[in-house]
Amino acid sequence: GGGAEGEETITLRAATGLSAQHAWWEASMVPWMERVEELTDGQVEFETFTGGELVSVPDEGDALQTGTVDVALVLPIYQPDQFPMAEVTMLPLNHSDTIIASNAWKNLLESEEELADGQTYTEMQFGDFKVFPVSTTQEYSISTTGHEFNTVSDIEGTSLRTPSRIHEIYASKTGINSVTMPAVEIYDALSRGTFEGAFYSIADWTGYGFQDLFTYTLTGINFGHFNAFIGMSQSRWDELPENVQEAMEQANDEIFEAGAQEWIDRAETIIPDNEENGGKFVEFNELDQEVQDHFNTGIEDTWTDYANLLEDNGLPGNDLVKMWRDLLIEEGGEVPDAIMDLE
Amino acid sequence: MDNLLVIGIILVMMIVLLLAGLYIHSVLLASGIIGLILLEGFGILPGLLGNEPFNRVASYTLTTIPLFVLMAQFILQSGLVQDIFYLVHKVSKGKNSLLGILTLIIGGMLGAVSGSGTATSASLGQVAIPELRKHGYSAPLAGAVAATGGSLSGIIPPSIILILYGVATETPVGSLFIGAFIPGILTMLVFIAVMLVYFQLGKNKQAALPSEALKQQAPEEKVPALRLIIASVIAVSIVFIIFGGIYTGVFTPTEAGAVGAFVGLIAAFLLGKVNVNFFKVSLIETVKLTGMVMIIMIGAQIFGRFVSLSLLPRRLIEWLEPIMDQPALVLIAISIVLFIMFMFIEGAAVILMSIPVLLPIIVELQVDTLWFGVFVAVICTIGLITPPVGLSVYAVAGVSGITPGSIFRLTTVFALVAMVVVTGLMIVFPGLATWLPNSM
Amino acid sequence: MEAVWKVYRLFHYLKLIGIWISGAAVMVMMLLIVYDVVMRTVFSSSIRGGFEIIQNYMMPLVVFPGLAYVYSSGVLPKMDLLLDRFGPKVQKAIILLMIALELFVLALIVQFSWAFAMDGLSRGIAFPAAGTLYPLYPFFFLIPIAFGMIIIENVFILIRNLLEKKPSLLMEEPKQQVEDLL
Ligand code: NA
Ligand code: NA
Repeated sequence: GGGAEGEETITLRAATGLSAQHAWWEASMVPWMERVEELTDGQVEFETFTGGELVSVPDEGDALQTGTVDVALVLPIYQPDQFPMAEVTMLPLNHSDTIIASNAWKNLLESEEELADGQTYTEMQFGDFKVFPVSTTQEYSISTTGHEFNTVSDIEGTSLRTPSRIHEIYASKTGINSVTMPAVEIYDALSRGTFEGAFYSIADWTGYGFQDLFTYTLTGINFGHFNAFIGMSQSRWDELPENVQEAMEQANDEIFEAGAQEWIDRAETIIPDNEENGGKFVEFNELDQEVQDHFNTGIEDTWTDYANLLEDNGLPGNDLVKMWRDLLIEEGGEVPDAIMDLE
Repeated sequence: MDNLLVIGIILVMMIVLLLAGLYIHSVLLASGIIGLILLEGFGILPGLLGNEPFNRVASYTLTTIPLFVLMAQFILQSGLVQDIFYLVHKVSKGKNSLLGILTLIIGGMLGAVSGSGTATSASLGQVAIPELRKHGYSAPLAGAVAATGGSLSGIIPPSIILILYGVATETPVGSLFIGAFIPGILTMLVFIAVMLVYFQLGKNKQAALPSEALKQQAPEEKVPALRLIIASVIAVSIVFIIFGGIYTGVFTPTEAGAVGAFVGLIAAFLLGKVNVNFFKVSLIETVKLTGMVMIIMIGAQIFGRFVSLSLLPRRLIEWLEPIMDQPALVLIAISIVLFIMFMFIEGAAVILMSIPVLLPIIVELQVDTLWFGVFVAVICTIGLITPPVGLSVYAVAGVSGITPGSIFRLTTVFALVAMVVVTGLMIVFPGLATWLPNSM
Repeated sequence: MEAVWKVYRLFHYLKLIGIWISGAAVMVMMLLIVYDVVMRTVFSSSIRGGFEIIQNYMMPLVVFPGLAYVYSSGVLPKMDLLLDRFGPKVQKAIILLMIALELFVLALIVQFSWAFAMDGLSRGIAFPAAGTLYPLYPFFFLIPIAFGMIIIENVFILIRNLLEKKPSLLMEEPKQQVEDLL
């Protein structure tokens, strides 16, 4: 670390537990760091550690607070015990895309609106952090190694890998059997038929080679967006000279949109490749009406369940889900009618 | 402090502490902690020392370590190995060289149900050495056959070495297992060839000696035919269930550890060996081996954090720059370094301490990490039979009373031949490790 | 030294309790995974949260309670090539230095893992599984306890080396080398 003097070089240790090829690192964090170095004329330098070389997922937040690293990609959804309201972006929807969700997520983080006890969302959840919003992931889909959803009984009892607590709520509401296992084992287990599929974003498939495995993907229904932010500990942030702080803010505004676009670009190259290998993308509204209703009821139940879960723990769950709904709608997202009617 | 200076100090400190005889895990912990303090000051410690021990251990994938060891224990305690060897002895009656070959093949097959080379060597030593001695094998050669046969567990899947590598590098363990299959068989064939040469040399030397006298010394224990049939059926079933289960997707390679242990328990039950002592020995030995691996993993993790922060891998890549465009040369250099480390240090510890340094180089060389994992496992297997620290040889010496030195004299030759032939072929034909996993 | 041995006997029982907890945890872990595989194969439903519970509860229970016993059993590998070649005086000096280094490292681990556990307690660290949160922080305390017991073992070894002539890195030589290697 360096001092606060203008001319002294400040070396910041930057880390992620994700791989160096992950879209958040490659298309958001790296451009951000490069831009900060440019804007400060080399006053700030970054020493980078990826793939868990220094910090593993989801320990990045703790590593910032203990001072192991200065800046990191934080994935708060993995720690619902610490950040119970971060999962709100994982709520299932009828329609949105990476741009819609990313803007809504940015607006949520930057919102000045009081959520409870005189605090904004960010103050309540991430008060110890300096938060730079980055894009959400592309929307999550259900993909399987061939299992199709033609009747309601095709949904019930199907084993899918669930990546978050929200998906587990959704699975239990719809009768899906949720499977959890380490990411490195999924390929093996899927390819040998240990279970049938997963909730996953198409743009993320290549990280584990899933583009060769999934042959059936449901599109036009959306199982939420994983979120992240570039974080620093509040105290480390306060130590930085003002010009560096400004450069970091400016850099983040500049890279934000391209970071979101990367997810869309990645998905757009994966989809035709997958189709060439026999992969099928099925539109949700072409499914049997009963199947659609079953999925939609699950969406509605998940929103209310999540809100109740937060309320039971003394958190403003009802206000939060309404706030998230409104932010999404404002950006062009769609939710089932029952959720529009929430008041 | 300057990174290079710190790296130098820590390197010297490690060598001194290793030579002084400090426990490997303590060498790693002490070097890692002192290195971190020198690099970053005391303030870096709370964030790394507090959580690493728990985070390292709390891993689903690592359940395979206690459970594969438990399976090996259940199988060893069930007496299955003795029964199988008795069968082998019957089959090879009269053909002395065949007995040695079959012992090595049994070693390989035991390797297929056991993850630990030391445990397999010890049990093979107990049952095979008396038989081999009766059939014209010198004591050191009999010991060498048992030790090398047992060491094959390190490479023939399932292998704890491959599991550790898979966890440390995020390489799918199932693919590693499949990739290790051909190199494992190849290693076994090399061991058989070397053994046959030694057997012929020994036979020529003592051609005049009548072997009848030796043969009559120990009266044979009769094993009932029914028991032999049960034992064979069980042995075949275990291999079939584990590999069939993984291949058909009934369970993952990780879950195979639990299923294997459970099947081993049922086998021991069917063979009438389950009692309080059976559980006592199996469980204590399992916890001991697991604790050993885990405490080294914790040490290696903290040492690995120091290695990362010191930027040593990046420096090494810079230094290797002149030969980085010749991957074969770098790989030969790496394999010599690993061979020397495996000579002196227990295998799992070597894997865990070297991965943080080697993996970035391997990635930079664009060498397949699966291939490299199998490659390291081969060298590790060979390390089980090289002096001065060759656990398979010590295990055999312990159960047979043959001096480790006399066994080492032979196993060193086994090791060198296997090293040159198997790793050489793997460098020239990488497909030996990658072809099977890619075509499945 | 007699009194020391008496106290050490008592400490030994503590270690035995630890290894039996670990041994039982191994069996439970095996049964849980087998049950999960059977349920998934036959009824296509797995234990809800089984993966997380095994990872976060069973693995620490397998490893940490038995660790002090493992440490004192002589199974931990080291390179003992040179030590035996020195005279007893030099040997003892080296051993005392090594114990001091061990104690330094272990004390740091106990200190920081204790702080980590207390922090976990105050933040109520939990892990999500099957839609609910399970408390994780109680298991953090296994680490300072396990390493604290290893410190006690080392203090005994230190006392033994100070009071007895023969230098040794263990309180008791393993009864059978073979049994340990198995
Ligand atoms: Na094996
Ligand atoms: Na060796």
